[in-house]
Amino acid sequence: SFSGGNGQDLVAFDRHPEAFSDKTLDRATTCKLKIEHYYQMCVAHAVERNQRRIELEQKLQKERGSEERKARQLASLGKKESAFLRLRRTRLSLDDFQTVKVIGKGAFGEVRLVQKKDTGKIYAMKTLLKSEMYNKEQLAHVKAERDVLAGADSPWVVSLYYSFQDSQYLYLIMEFLPGGDLMTMLINYDVFSEDVTRFYMAECVLAIEAIHKQGFIHRDIKPDNVLIDKNGHIKLSDFGLSTGFHKTHDSKYYKKLLQQQQEQRKDEEPESVDAIHLTMNRQQIQTWRKSRRVMAYSAVGTPDYIAPEIFGNQGYGMECDWWSLGAIMYECLVGFPPFCSDTPAETYRKIVNWPYTLQFPSEVYLSAEAEDLIRRLLTSAENRIGRISADEIKAHPFFRGVNWETVRDFSAPFVPKLSSVTDTSYFPLDELEKVSENIPAPPPSNGENEALRENLPFIGYTFSRFDYLTRKNAL
Amino acid sequence: QGSAFGNKKPLFVRQPFIQSALVKGSFKTIVILPRYVDLGDWLALNMFEFFSNLKQFHLVIDEFCTARTCPSMSAGPGLDYLWLDANRKPIRLPAETYTSYVLTWINNKLNDETLFPTRANMTFPANFPSTLRNIYRQMLRIFAHYYHNHFETLVHLSMEAHWNSFFAHFVSFGREFSLIDKRDIEPLQELISAFEAQGKLS
Ligand SMILES: Nc1ncnc2c1ncn2[C@@H]1O[C@H](COP(=O)(O)OP(=O)(O)OP(=O)(O)O)[C@@H](O)[C@H]1O
Repeated sequence: SFSGGNGQDLVAFDRHPEAFSDKTLDRATTCKLKIEHYYQMCVAHAVERNQRRIELEQKLQKERGSEERKARQLASLGKKESAFLRLRRTRLSLDDFQTVKVIGKGAFGEVRLVQKKDTGKIYAMKTLLKSEMYNKEQLAHVKAERDVLAGADSPWVVSLYYSFQDSQYLYLIMEFLPGGDLMTMLINYDVFSEDVTRFYMAECVLAIEAIHKQGFIHRDIKPDNVLIDKNGHIKLSDFGLSTGFHKTHDSKYYKKLLQQQQEQRKDEEPESVDAIHLTMNRQQIQTWRKSRRVMAYSAVGTPDYIAPEIFGNQGYGMECDWWSLGAIMYECLVGFPPFCSDTPAETYRKIVNWPYTLQFPSEVYLSAEAEDLIRRLLTSAENRIGRISADEIKAHPFFRGVNWETVRDFSAPFVPKLSSVTDTSYFPLDELEKVSENIPAPPPSNGENEALRENLPFIGYTFSRFDYLTRKNAL
Repeated sequence: QGSAFGNKKPLFVRQPFIQSALVKGSFKTIVILPRYVDLGDWLALNMFEFFSNLKQFHLVIDEFCTARTCPSMSAGPGLDYLWLDANRKPIRLPAETYTSYVLTWINNKLNDETLFPTRANMTFPANFPSTLRNIYRQMLRIFAHYYHNHFETLVHLSMEAHWNSFFAHFVSFGREFSLIDKRDIEPLQELISAFEAQGKLS
């Protein structure tokens, strides 16, 4: 140590972080990151709040109106700002919502139509059973992604308003899309015309492009995740969360299943599995379709739409989502997905052997452009269209005549006819009743211990955008 | 605390640490009540956030603050904070016990809907200001204890800039809304004066 000039005593300090345990170092890093984030947000909030105030003050200055009316408007802004501050302290729980109906079921839990008790606003609430999640360690990553997602406001992505959890479940409060999903629509319509297919594919292209531009890969695009809003336009649900970590994405899992299958089959007569697909008749399609929803409800899910490279260990990029789009497009036009089989393991086998198993049934008519686009999507990652940018896909002859700037402004081929904000006629409620296990009972809220409460993400931390919440009418 | 160098001054008031900062400039800008905003909601959210940030530091320090290292809730030589037991009798507690009591106590307050309402249309109670001052005082004691007894650990972990800025923010806020009792800041007065000289507080 030495003494510096002007009476200041400068101290030399040897830092020895290596003497600390990993646990401590981790906590220190987390703490520092949180503090940094906190001050970034403090400053951002102050700046934005100021802007909102100045904007309103200037607007009022130009307007005629009475002083009293102006004061009222400023007070009203103050009220909203205060409500936003309050919301950031609020810990939401299941008690704050009332279930109207169960409207969907996924691999990890249910989706319900709910009403927030204090405001009466309607939302879709997704419940995820934490213990069923394939890889719980990934939850932290998931949350980080969710946070970013919550800040991203895109017309192509289902808005997420709040999230909270208790010891068993994770709850996501999202905007309610009353039009159901593309899976249900496909089950009802069998196949789409090329024009209708073009509409949904064009919207999916824009939606996927929007996600990619935000730096996300969906990895799990399937008709169940393509939701329909009140005007008949699509929004993608459910990315970032768990999806990337499903069993559906794990090749080891299928290899084991395949092995079991082969052992079982040893005694039985040998059969060629690919042949089934080629000769898939109406009856078989019907059978497949019945099992389709069951598969969507099962904890395993379906690998039907997953790109082959995801099963490998070479890594994968955004182009994996374009493969999924190809599989959905095939299903829209043909009536079943390209690699569909009796078992997930078999589907997996077909996907990784796609050069040999991708077939177009001769009895279904497809335009040359449609078939070409499907083949350009269902191909190896290196050769796949869209790898460079979504513009490649937009320029494909199948989309000739599509005005990409205005797709969402035009009327959709099917517009849901709704009688109220809680109309659920586009959801397969009868079938849900059959598969639906009992609604999960939340653990008693006062029995919750301190450690658990620590875990709860605060709204203010996750959803820090004032503009977003006001525009979405959540404030 | 710096005594290895034959200097009795605690490490945190010596160079370069007395100047370490994550946030540059004055905290005033993020501390003052925004126009048209409800005072109660502003105070409540800020206290809430100070508390969750303090808990982050507590998570780091906690394992180094034991009954052996810190048999009392001390903040420098000759100063021990005492806990009032159920009969309001002051008792000496190991610092780890004291802090964990304080954190639980604050947590309960912050989660009490009648003290810190979160539902729409609920108002803050009349005793809100005194509740805030009590919470503030207890938090300040944790700052004082950590500064005087665990600052070295923070430096080893390169956290002193974060810690200093967090504390300067806390003080700036306490001054703006008259939450500080003069006596309470004594053990950290030199540091606070330095922050003031650095223009962090006003
Ligand atoms: N925001 C919403 N509005 C209306 N219905 C929804 C909404 N989100 C989901 N649903 C319905 O619930 C069904 C299941 O939801 P989702 O696909 O998100 O769950 P999941 O299958 O568990 O997801 P994944 O398995 O991909 O993680 C959807 O197919 C849809 O019918």
